[in-house]
Amino acid sequence: MLIEVGHYALALALALSLTQMVMPIWASRTGDPVLRSVTVPAALATFLCIAFSFGALTYAHVTSDFSVQNVVENSHSMKPLIYKISGVWGNHEGSMMLWVLILALFGAVVALARNSVPPTLRANTLGVQAAITAVFLLFILITSNPFTRLNPAPIEGRDLNPLLQDPGLAIHPPLLYLGYVGFSITFAFAIAALIEGRIDAAWARAVRPWTLAAWCFLTVGIAMGSYWAYYELGWGGWWFWDPVENASLMPWLAGTALVHSTVVMEKRDALKVWTVLLAILTFSLSLLGTFLVRSGVLTSVHTFATDPTRGTFILGILVLFIGGSLALYAWRAPTLRQGGLFAPISREGALVMNNLFLSAACATVLVGTLYPLALESLTGEKISVGAPFFNLTFVPLAVPLLLVVPFGQTLAWKRGDLAAASQRLFVGFAIALVVALVAIAVTWGGPVGAPLGIGLGAYLILGAVLEIVTRARGKTFGLSLRRAAGLPRSAWGTALAHAGVGVTVIGIAAQAWSVEALATLPRGGELRAGPYVAVLEGVLPRTGPNYTETVAHLTIREGGVPVGVLEPGKRFYASRNMSVSEAGLLTIGVSQVYASVGETGTDGRVGIRLYYKPLVLLIWLGAVVMALGGGLSLTDRRFRVGAPALKPAPRDAAGPVPLHSVPAE
Amino acid sequence: MTAIWLIFALMTGLAVLALLWPMSRRPALAGLPEGEARIATETGFYRDQLREIDRDAARGLLAAPEAEAARAEAARRLLRASREPGRNPGAVGEPALRRRRAASAFALSTVPLVALLVYGIYGSPDLPAQPQAERLAHARSAGNDLAAAVTQIEAHLAKAPEDGRGWAVLAPVYLRVGRVEDAIKAYENSLRILGDDATRLADYGEALTAAGDGVVSSKARDAFERALKQDPKAVKPQFYLARAAEQDGDRAQARSRYAAMEAAAPPDAPWLPMVRDSLARLDGTAPAAAAPGKGPGMSEEQRGMIRGMVEGLAQRLAEKGGSPEEWGRLVRSYMVLGDRPKAEATLAQARAALGSDAGKLAPVEDVAQELGLGAAKAAP
Amino acid sequence: MTRRRRRSVLIVVCGAVLAVALGLVLSAMRDTIVFFRSPTEVASQKVAPGTRFRLGGLVEAGSLKREADGHVEFAVTDTGSTVPVRYRGLLPDLFREGQGVVTEGVLQADGTFRADTVLAKHDETYMPREVADALKAQGRWQEGGAAAQGAPAQGQAGPVSRTATQ
Repeated sequence: MLIEVGHYALALALALSLTQMVMPIWASRTGDPVLRSVTVPAALATFLCIAFSFGALTYAHVTSDFSVQNVVENSHSMKPLIYKISGVWGNHEGSMMLWVLILALFGAVVALARNSVPPTLRANTLGVQAAITAVFLLFILITSNPFTRLNPAPIEGRDLNPLLQDPGLAIHPPLLYLGYVGFSITFAFAIAALIEGRIDAAWARAVRPWTLAAWCFLTVGIAMGSYWAYYELGWGGWWFWDPVENASLMPWLAGTALVHSTVVMEKRDALKVWTVLLAILTFSLSLLGTFLVRSGVLTSVHTFATDPTRGTFILGILVLFIGGSLALYAWRAPTLRQGGLFAPISREGALVMNNLFLSAACATVLVGTLYPLALESLTGEKISVGAPFFNLTFVPLAVPLLLVVPFGQTLAWKRGDLAAASQRLFVGFAIALVVALVAIAVTWGGPVGAPLGIGLGAYLILGAVLEIVTRARGKTFGLSLRRAAGLPRSAWGTALAHAGVGVTVIGIAAQAWSVEALATLPRGGELRAGPYVAVLEGVLPRTGPNYTETVAHLTIREGGVPVGVLEPGKRFYASRNMSVSEAGLLTIGVSQVYASVGETGTDGRVGIRLYYKPLVLLIWLGAVVMALGGGLSLTDRRFRVGAPALKPAPRDAAGPVPLHSVPAE
Repeated sequence: MTAIWLIFALMTGLAVLALLWPMSRRPALAGLPEGEARIATETGFYRDQLREIDRDAARGLLAAPEAEAARAEAARRLLRASREPGRNPGAVGEPALRRRRAASAFALSTVPLVALLVYGIYGSPDLPAQPQAERLAHARSAGNDLAAAVTQIEAHLAKAPEDGRGWAVLAPVYLRVGRVEDAIKAYENSLRILGDDATRLADYGEALTAAGDGVVSSKARDAFERALKQDPKAVKPQFYLARAAEQDGDRAQARSRYAAMEAAAPPDAPWLPMVRDSLARLDGTAPAAAAPGKGPGMSEEQRGMIRGMVEGLAQRLAEKGGSPEEWGRLVRSYMVLGDRPKAEATLAQARAALGSDAGKLAPVEDVAQELGLGAAKAAP
Repeated sequence: MTRRRRRSVLIVVCGAVLAVALGLVLSAMRDTIVFFRSPTEVASQKVAPGTRFRLGGLVEAGSLKREADGHVEFAVTDTGSTVPVRYRGLLPDLFREGQGVVTEGVLQADGTFRADTVLAKHDETYMPREVADALKAQGRWQEGGAAAQGAPAQGQAGPVSRTATQ
């Protein structure tokens, strides 16, 4: 019965969100604030209904209720409990449920943010949010209903794809969705502002924490997905420029631009019209990502067989929201009051540069992702746009942006002094140059790009450090410390996030030095990658809970001294007749030795692929530092003044979010 | 099942109450905070901004003239924000009351209507939850321990996936409960581990045939041929191979196979009537409906399943179209199920769908000719 | 600086960056795009040796040969034509004879295809869409089996197994 009640709760949530959508419109036509205030209980009730519904679905998964089709298709009574729970969103229907749950959660938190958001703006925002919720609820109920029942119930379920039975995948999608969906609030705020025809610095301040929270989640979510691909796919790559990866990168780029442009708007009341557009575009890109993943239009390595009606439905949603919001923008934006202008050399100017480069980079990713699709539908010619394209377009746009970052931090608002800023940054620049030169000298003859990238990363980190030092510098050391402690948390957050970018840049640059070796080894055979030598001690069979595994036992030596053991394997899941590679990882500092195993030949030789990946963990650690910086900014006093309910509430509800740790294996 | 409707009513009631609650408050009180709240938020914001400018200036982040200008700007905006009137003309009076009543009526009617309508379309209120533990207990107590046994074997196989006998036991059970794909995999596993065996191969072929809408695929045929190699007298492979020949349009071969079976059969063999029916069908002396897709041991359940699959294909083709091969397959499937009128109708549909393109239509026409369908072109 | 001059500086800078981005995209388009070809297209269109492209089809049954030095050879077919492929590296988990595969590499003068990437998906019923289309063109692909399985896995989850050599 619980399942049917959950199903009914979902239908009730649809009805509630329709009411929540209609009331603000009615209110603005009649000017009656009471009608407007209905949105608050409506948003809360919608959230409760969806949460209950999601709980009912989880219950069905946990108790292996095979009268629910969704459970049959994605679960198995023998599965460990954690994968029974993560299996709830490890499939299309369940992940859409998670999507609306987060959507409603954000709506509920906005409804509770009593003091920080003007009531009219809040009501209109909730109305727009309700429209999005209603449409996605319709999508779930009509095309992807997770509560479809089977009678009689099958005896056993078909089990979750073994690849999805991984702790990384248990938390990656919720984080990513918190990011994707978080931008829906920013979008709703933008539409509400357009409807009201009123936008100002207070709007920017109301929007900023949401943008920042969504951005943090998206950052960690993307990093998590990247690390998962790295250790699970056996290729040793950490980014594939795969369309689905691009789908999450585009909202991130636009969202990063938005985080920065709302600062300009809040502080200087400028860039209003652009910020609104950016808010619309960011969520549109999130929706586009959903469409690309769910409709199967792209030949992505991520996209599985999908149902065309779903694709059509999501395309409809896409056209409705993106087309509708852009039309509204074209109609209403000219009526918004323009903000002030500013000198090109100023912090605002630097932030405009940031926005410009980020948007251009985002546009190149968009072109690279959609061009094959457009070409195929127009000419029937099939092409693939891969890493070379993005390396040639994205990287040249990212590098100047990174060069501007420390300048932007140190320039003053309104009118900055470039000479003074350069002087402040000179120390950092000099040290970074030395670092790069040392790196070149040490790795003489190696790729030149890597040391330059390391230098760039060092420059970014030093820029962040110098920023704090300059702002805190006092007459005595003690005074400086006290001043540093007194700096607003947003200043610390900014510095931390920018340093995180530097850390990631160093990690990426160092990958030019990664070494790969491949051989079919007999027992006792050796394979060298960089400073490390792997010795194949033997190949052992092993039995797991629901698979058999062939494990290669490798000893890793450095200069003849054993430093560790690697056990890459190949698992065979008999119930699904499917084999999966498990990479072996040995972490040494922030570098890793990585091995994957191939076929075992008839002569007992085993195909082994060995990588030495220097500093590779920095790529994801940097992303975590970025998100921590964002989180620190969120706790800044400014966001809390008069807004007790506006603490980073989304995080509380997200459950155990490992902001500081990417799982080690 | 009234309890569930009571719960639904309760939920709906609570939801509507939550919506009505703000409207029930006294309008004069409810009206006031709006304007004030906005002004309070905004003025608070600009005051805060002024303080921040002071802080920045003190830290030397903002030059004195710039800070002065910024201060003036923020102060100007603060003034503007506090001057703007909180306009809520519609908050009081008789029309407001009437409007609120209308809104209440709207919420009262829309929420239950939409929820019940949507749930009515997609829900199944009569179906109780069937958590696995409960179903297992039920199965055990009812003496029907098939389900429990399957679960036990599955649990065992999860731990020891190389136990071929386990798979061999499980496979026919899967087939009986309609999990054809699982049955095929179980057969494959048992064959892989235990090696070829006539009965198992024949059952495997049968499972493949069941999965293929009753059409004996080349993979199934391969299995039957291997089975026959193990045991040349086995009945099931012989029958299905005859059927395969029949489906391929090789009437002579099919007839000779059926005839051989008939000749070698003991007179009381339960499958003999089926072979005779098939022979009669080939000779055109009996209506095709007499032998609707019955294989030896093909249960009622399986036939229902096959029918389900065929209907799925039919629906898809009708809605979205398909390749000529798929149309041909559908026509053939109906004939296998013994539904000649439907096969004719499908042929007409296929001709309409594929249009006048002779090349495209050819595979369908081949099937039609071979099955003696489509009067116009079926002249032998 | 006057208001108008500030505005024009802004516009010029924006225009310059966007122009650079556009230029990068256009030049990269010319050099880095990889076309998809089926074996039949390779045979009929006479793809010039040295061209980089993606070759997709079924791995021909019985064509897989492994050499001691890590090289593997197999043939990709769309049942119409067949192209021999040579590759050095570990094959993805789901690489099987008779299954769909997409490889990327360069066609050699002797007609073999030297692949540096082999893609196959982690799903036993998966058929790369290009391959399915190419096979449909050959009339060899029937939707039934694959479509019926269509329990789409989680979107962010589907992986690729990709192997590459420098």
